[in-house]
Amino acid sequence: MAVAQRLLFTAGLLLLPVPAPGAGSLPSGGAPLPSDSTERARALHVLNRLTYGPRPGDVDRVVAMGVDRFIEQQLNPEKIRDDRVEDRLKPLEVLRLDPEELGRIYLDEVRERRQGRPLSRARKLAAEFQQAAVVRATLSERQLYEVMVDFWTNHFNVFLGKGADRFLLPDYIEHTIRPHAMGKFEDLLIATAHSPAMLFYLDNVQSVTPGAVPPRPFGRRPIAEQRIPKGINENYARELMELHTLGVDGGYTQQDVVNVARVLTGWSMRPPRRGVGFVFNDWAHDRGEKVVLGHPFPAGRGEDEGIALLRLLAHHPSTMRHLSAQLCARFVADDPPDGCIDAGVHAWQRTGGDIREVLRAIFQSPEFWAPQYRAAKVKTPLEFVVSAVRAVDGAPDTTLVLAQIVGRLGEPLYLDQPPTGYPETQDSWVNAGALLERLNLGLGIAAGRAPGIAVNLDQLIPGDNDPSQLADRVNREILGGTATANTLRVLREQAASLPPAQARIMAVGLALGSPEFQKQ
Amino acid sequence: MDRCCAENLRMERRVFVKAGGLALVALGLDPIFLTRAAYAVSRAGGAAAAKKTLVCIFQRGAVDGLNMVVPHGDPFYYRERPRIAIPRPGLAGGALDLDGHFGLHPALAPLEPLYRNGSLALVHAVGSPDATRSHFDAQDYMESGTPGLKSTADGWLNRFLAAQHAREHQDTPFRGVAIGPQLPRALRGATPALAIDNLQAFGLRAPEPARDRLTQAFEELYQGSATGLVAASSTEAFEAMRMLKTLAPDRYQPGHGAEYPGGPLGRSLKQIAQLIKADLGVEIAFADVGGWDTHVNQGASEGQLAARLTEFGRSLAAFSQDLGERMADVVVLTMSEFGRTVAENGNVGTDHGHATAMFVLGGGVKGGRVYGDWPTLDPARRFEGRDLAVTTDFRDLFGEVLTQHLGATDLSSVFPGFRGVRPVGIIPRT
Repeated sequence: MAVAQRLLFTAGLLLLPVPAPGAGSLPSGGAPLPSDSTERARALHVLNRLTYGPRPGDVDRVVAMGVDRFIEQQLNPEKIRDDRVEDRLKPLEVLRLDPEELGRIYLDEVRERRQGRPLSRARKLAAEFQQAAVVRATLSERQLYEVMVDFWTNHFNVFLGKGADRFLLPDYIEHTIRPHAMGKFEDLLIATAHSPAMLFYLDNVQSVTPGAVPPRPFGRRPIAEQRIPKGINENYARELMELHTLGVDGGYTQQDVVNVARVLTGWSMRPPRRGVGFVFNDWAHDRGEKVVLGHPFPAGRGEDEGIALLRLLAHHPSTMRHLSAQLCARFVADDPPDGCIDAGVHAWQRTGGDIREVLRAIFQSPEFWAPQYRAAKVKTPLEFVVSAVRAVDGAPDTTLVLAQIVGRLGEPLYLDQPPTGYPETQDSWVNAGALLERLNLGLGIAAGRAPGIAVNLDQLIPGDNDPSQLADRVNREILGGTATANTLRVLREQAASLPPAQARIMAVGLALGSPEFQKQ
Repeated sequence: MDRCCAENLRMERRVFVKAGGLALVALGLDPIFLTRAAYAVSRAGGAAAAKKTLVCIFQRGAVDGLNMVVPHGDPFYYRERPRIAIPRPGLAGGALDLDGHFGLHPALAPLEPLYRNGSLALVHAVGSPDATRSHFDAQDYMESGTPGLKSTADGWLNRFLAAQHAREHQDTPFRGVAIGPQLPRALRGATPALAIDNLQAFGLRAPEPARDRLTQAFEELYQGSATGLVAASSTEAFEAMRMLKTLAPDRYQPGHGAEYPGGPLGRSLKQIAQLIKADLGVEIAFADVGGWDTHVNQGASEGQLAARLTEFGRSLAAFSQDLGERMADVVVLTMSEFGRTVAENGNVGTDHGHATAMFVLGGGVKGGRVYGDWPTLDPARRFEGRDLAVTTDFRDLFGEVLTQHLGATDLSSVFPGFRGVRPVGIIPRT
């Protein structure tokens, strides 16, 4: 018990300026009261869905402070102190470089590669950036916020492997996605539409009105004929409606796609040598009148046409439904229940698309709490790795390896090619090879030989336990008490025939690799 | 099932029980599982139709089709490539003439006998109808099977596996398998497929006695506690591990004296050959080979591209030799996202172009021919005035291999919206 209290105390220090709940309200050992177990189950569910999984003691802590209060706290990340994660991010050079500097490094190395040298520094910076995401997911106290950053990163997916996106992506995540992750959807949408990373990824930089000729840059050679785009490119226009806003059945036509592309002609980026950033190229813009979804866009309004279009899309009923369904798929079930979607849509209507309010409505919907959806969603590779590290109160070490492990499990961060982003549904993540990798990682963590992870089992499962105590303890600390009778039996039997130190490795490894731990 | 095969099956099952059955019983596995595993092993004696395999090789980075399969009879070829052209057949470092018009790059000499004996066919001027010159987009389109449509979430090979409920293949975790750390886009989707980086390393990573114990413990855990897709996948995983264990991949000896070259493609094909010969039910196998993006100093008869082609040709030839008679049930199909410019660039290399060449090797292939309409390299006939034009849609070729070799009956979900431009004729209807 003393150790459990020490863990709680440590957690409390790292936590939030919210007043610590009285120690007297903590459940003391022994059999929990019925209402107590209900609250623990609620706390576990909230930790499974709003965070990257409970750390040891987190369930007790949330029960003590009150489940609703915990949700409220997570909905207000700006009020949560997050010193530890900021310290851990400090050594990462990539977070201190602006896109111009990153662009210079990358382009220099591309030039060098033509002479046969590898992309070393640029690769390392990309690896640092992937690691930053894993560090934040593991260590941040603003857990719901980090979950939402991941959600929007995939919703507005950009592929790190495509040309200029190798140096545009860090700025995109840091200054486009993160500031708006819990704000108004409209602001987020408009920010992504202005981001060079997205405009490059989905080819809007190539989209010009037919016949447009760029002005000859002063004092420079004219642009080679074959490099001048010849007409509109529909790519961004289509994904903007299909993926980012209305949804594939959102009620738009091919003519709408063409007209959205026309509205957005001229939305482009400055090349790296002239300071990366958004630019509206008047010369490339289609000056004609357009109609999108039945709304006229009068001729000659330039960039403002695009802004008006994005507002129209952001507040369209199809967008509310599409986005609410996606959020419910993330927080409730792969096949999102209607009640949850409706709750999200109502909140969206009421608040003009305030993401925080939509989330609050989803968390208050009966579907969020319905028993059939608890512990029923398979974790993504990122969720699995991070939750395993958190479950043993571990941390990423100072190498960049943990992000590589997430990649090996099938979700290399920022490297999903198609604009859909990584999927939320289990059929994309559960397969024989991937499952084996999960078992191997669980065993590696338990044995203290998983690279990239600092962990100390002595703190988590201290001292000698008989097999039965060990199984119960592992069930409580790592599986949140969800182990089936079969799992408990296997843990006990395996532990019974091993010396204590090995028994602990076996039990923890089996728990992290268990079917129960694959779900959230 | 006729009598011969029923007998085969019985015999195979006896062999199986002798070989591995006791061990399985010792693990406490249920009888259904035993039947299934026995069935998987018995397939060696099953019907011939059960054993067809397609091996796809993706040359990532856009291979220069014009130096791989050289149109030495086209006058514009030598005009546009003063420094990198492969000399005419008969000259030093010259192309290996195939039909008086095309020739193989000399580094592909190991493939020449396969062309001569009719098991290797080539398709030239093949590619995507989409105009993109982006590796990213073009690979995406060639793997999703939907050129121009980016939101397709799954790959054409996975959709084939989903559409084709092959009785003979569905009971094995090895039906769709890619050699590599991740599933390629072409194999991703709702139907289970396996990515294996290294056959030897597939399994729990622990020293031998501990590994068996851990595997057994996890298996008990999943059999008793898992549900739904997680349970199904775990069954596949444990079955695959068990099937691979008997393979002893580290002791594999290629057949017929075949020698695979060093390098990733040789390694991948060697592992694929092993899986095929072990009758694990592989229907689709996939391997990547990179290094084709030759913008600078690509060389001619020797040099950068020649080195890549050497590995490529030797790997394919070794694979074919290794499989021997089994090649009758196997087709190897190579692909690349696009070709390269007709004209060499200022850096003695080539830039991103349009159409390229692909190889089809193996059983049922009417080889010894170069297929596809040759659009010529006449500037007036080029795509956008600069690149080799596409005269064969890649989906026509891929689709033909699926129907003629693997017996696909309906490609509407594999290549949605594509009705087929025209058959290539590379695998005649049987």
